[in-house]
Amino acid sequence: MPTMLKEPVAAFDPTKVGVDLQHEIEQFYYREAALLDRREFKAWLSLLAEDLRYFMPLRMSRMNRFDDKEFSDDNEYASFDEDIVAMRGRIRKVLTDFSWSENPYSKTRHLVSNVIVEPLDDEPGTYKVHSAFVTYRNRAERQVDIWTGERRDVIRRAANPYGFEISKRTILIDQSTLLANNLSIFF
Amino acid sequence: MPESPTHPQPPTIWSPEAIKALFDESGGYVDSRIYTDTGIYELEQELIFGRSWLMLGHETHIPKPGDFLSTYMGEDPVIMIRQKDASIRVFLNQCRHRGMRICREDLGNAKSFTCAYHGWAYDAKGTLVSVPFEQRAYGTCLNKAEWSPRQARVETYRGLVFANWDQEAPSLAEWFSDAGSYLDFMLDRSEEGTEVIGGIQKWIVPCNWKFAAEQFVSDFYHAGTVAHLSGLTAGLPDDVELADIEMPNEGIQFRSEWGGHGSGFLLRNPSMLSSVMGPEVAKFWMDSPHAEEAERRLGRAEYARHPVGNHITIFPTMSALPGVNSVRTWHPRGPEETEIWVFTVVDKSAPAEIKELYRRQNIRTFSAGGVFEQDDGETWVEIQRVLRGYQARKTQFNVQMGTNMHRSDDPVFPGRIGYVYSEDAARGFYSHWQRMLTERSWRTLAPPSPAIAAE
Repeated sequence: MPTMLKEPVAAFDPTKVGVDLQHEIEQFYYREAALLDRREFKAWLSLLAEDLRYFMPLRMSRMNRFDDKEFSDDNEYASFDEDIVAMRGRIRKVLTDFSWSENPYSKTRHLVSNVIVEPLDDEPGTYKVHSAFVTYRNRAERQVDIWTGERRDVIRRAANPYGFEISKRTILIDQSTLLANNLSIFF
Repeated sequence: MPESPTHPQPPTIWSPEAIKALFDESGGYVDSRIYTDTGIYELEQELIFGRSWLMLGHETHIPKPGDFLSTYMGEDPVIMIRQKDASIRVFLNQCRHRGMRICREDLGNAKSFTCAYHGWAYDAKGTLVSVPFEQRAYGTCLNKAEWSPRQARVETYRGLVFANWDQEAPSLAEWFSDAGSYLDFMLDRSEEGTEVIGGIQKWIVPCNWKFAAEQFVSDFYHAGTVAHLSGLTAGLPDDVELADIEMPNEGIQFRSEWGGHGSGFLLRNPSMLSSVMGPEVAKFWMDSPHAEEAERRLGRAEYARHPVGNHITIFPTMSALPGVNSVRTWHPRGPEETEIWVFTVVDKSAPAEIKELYRRQNIRTFSAGGVFEQDDGETWVEIQRVLRGYQARKTQFNVQMGTNMHRSDDPVFPGRIGYVYSEDAARGFYSHWQRMLTERSWRTLAPPSPAIAAE
């Protein structure tokens, strides 16, 4: 994804994204975050679409003139690059009694903000949504990890209690060397 | 040439006699202070990381002249860079004027490196070539030829690049002792050799580097018992239960004759590779034209196709999972922190779809978020936290498994081997660690020379 950061910020067009749509999509994200923080992993899994790509590229330190190569490419190593089958496996793992990195569970808080909605013209009911996140984790007695970053999602309307499903999630994390002992939570 | 003074010995209570009491091969125990003590850590920097072959990357990370990686030897930042004549140089990433880092990006291509502090510039060989205001400010007192960054020795093994600060250390081939064939299982399966899948994942685990290196040298026990059952669960097809998987119970551990290296793997357990890497990769590895070529090159089918779940450490900090093809270096960051750098290799001749599966399955299984590796991050950190306790640090750990149960007469698997659940290779690792901290001369420490042995 060489042009990842270079993607222009969409201008605000109130005729395309009205208050109701913005509100609806923000409410979806708040509820998705609540499912993760309340460890309702099966319910969260049900929000992931069959054509899911859950992708967190590596981030590197490059001199400014190469900042279009700051993220690893599609065919390179990544922190996550999962389809729906792999995500089902991850949920199966975390729900066993012996998934030690999450038993006892991490205490997490997913905060989502700066939600920018862009309807995809050729796919009615489908939206490109960029948002910022702060995810806090406490493990065991004193371990604290704080991750910030950007989600670049494609979501579409779906017949589930929360109204949308996630088809693409690209997570641009604001770290190169990851400052945590693992990534055992979901972003 | 103004020689850099030898690193001053830190004040330490660790006499050779005291270090010899920290590990006892016949007693089968290790003193837990080896994972916490700052004096030991400083000695390790001098006597292990200053004298060992350390793995820095793969040749295909830097294919073209000028391609470089910024990496580390122990805690020392180094630049590993491809030369015009296709050789590779490794030099300290430190300006000789005020010590500024001369290369400040993770990777790239460069003809030269200019220090961002005062502009001293070094060419791709690591030679000081330009000093601003040289004539007017220095007159004749500066001899540029004497002020280049310190260079390390560089050797490669089947694509992997190693470097060593010690001019007196044995060659890389001698360093490997009899462990190379267990690495060939991953690196020498095809004529074209391996290439790297781009990108190095880096993360921090607050634990001593030896927990990681020792686990990969010797510990199949954790994988076959409780630590990674949930990781296996994640890879099962929807209609298969964990109880349907054949749990490991047959396999071999290898301990190198010299050098503290070791490896282990399962035999006659084909479902294990499939449940980690998926059925397509398992078929590629065990039953394909690639497997036939590997069998021709490596000798025997039992050797080329049957081992699965392999782990290996080349002392001190290079580890790999042959089959999964995850390759890593455990960079020490103080006695209580390790930086893990991981990449994946794959046979150059493998079909594109197999390469893609290797990429995806490595990310899924053995990475910071991998369904196996995420649980290792939990375990090592908790051990280190417990060792904050004074009584905990006065406690010895048991490394007795497999004592006096080794043999050296296997027709297929060379060297000193035993049952897969063993700590013979861990004892070899700690024994070599102890020798490197107590024997300052290669006259006693060097591997036995085949020529001398033959006389």
